[in-house]
Amino acid sequence: MRVPLERKVLSENDRIAAALRERFQRNGTFCVNLISSPGSGKTSLLERTLAGFDAARRVAVLTGDIQTDNDARRLARYGFPVRQITTGGACHLDASMVERHLTDWPVDELEILFLENVGNLVCPTSYDLGEEARAVLLSVAEGEDKPLKYPATFHHADLVVLTKIDLLPYVPFSMELARENARRVQPEIEILEVSCTSGAGLGQWNDWIQRHL
Amino acid sequence: MSIAESVLDAVRAESALHGGARVTRAGLRIGELSGVAVESLRFCLEVLVADTDLAPLGFEIESAAWTRRCRACGAVFRVTDARPECTACGGDDTEAAGGDQMELSYLELEEP
Ligand SMILES: [Zn+2]
Repeated sequence: MRVPLERKVLSENDRIAAALRERFQRNGTFCVNLISSPGSGKTSLLERTLAGFDAARRVAVLTGDIQTDNDARRLARYGFPVRQITTGGACHLDASMVERHLTDWPVDELEILFLENVGNLVCPTSYDLGEEARAVLLSVAEGEDKPLKYPATFHHADLVVLTKIDLLPYVPFSMELARENARRVQPEIEILEVSCTSGAGLGQWNDWIQRHL
Repeated sequence: MSIAESVLDAVRAESALHGGARVTRAGLRIGELSGVAVESLRFCLEVLVADTDLAPLGFEIESAAWTRRCRACGAVFRVTDARPECTACGGDDTEAAGGDQMELSYLELEEP
């Protein structure tokens, strides 16, 4: 006997993510999910971001890693609450991990919650974490064809941050082609360019965050 | 691998809704924009299911096309080579119309 269905494989994750999103919205917390390959500069961008924030701001970070807590230690130096999510082998965060790590935290008072996903451009794509915005980082040391190779990742993003632009003179990366490829996959996507070394573009990144508060 | 585990969870949940009937075959619909590679999912499912009480459950995985809808002429078209322009009228005012599905599309149950 064949029973036709339309059951979402990740319906349980989606249910938890929807509850998180509702909670963030109710409390006015802007939650952003940062996704990229390993080494594209998520932690550096967060470091520069936290370093620029007034200590009175209510900002927190959950950072995902398969094993180590190096990123959490790097980020904790800026005085804002940072919590590590060790995924124990999984190459992505899921909504239940986020929910679990928010218990006994003053989440409801936060204005910004950064979710630094595990360094992987593919697996995190399918998992809604309840975020309001999804940002994909792509460094100029990678190929400008990545949006075409991983269309799902870019299709589900609201923002692409092209990072390490200080390296542009030394790498064969076409900024124009990267922008064109990202827009082909997701015509509405916003695109920023930053360098965490020179500080170029960090103002626009901060403006983008500010616009969501 | 996590996706494959979620697939088995979904199969179990649906089987329970049907009186715990034994599932012989499950259909999956995986969109081109779901972020899941069909071949690696197939492999993970085979490995995973072999060690469970669900074995020898078989899977049929169907890929669902990446589609967009044209706001000018209304056509829903398949996106190839990541080209967002309408294939019917050539217009570039188009919106997402599908391809991010990841769902269980059917179960074949043993008759009681
Ligand atoms: Zn058209």
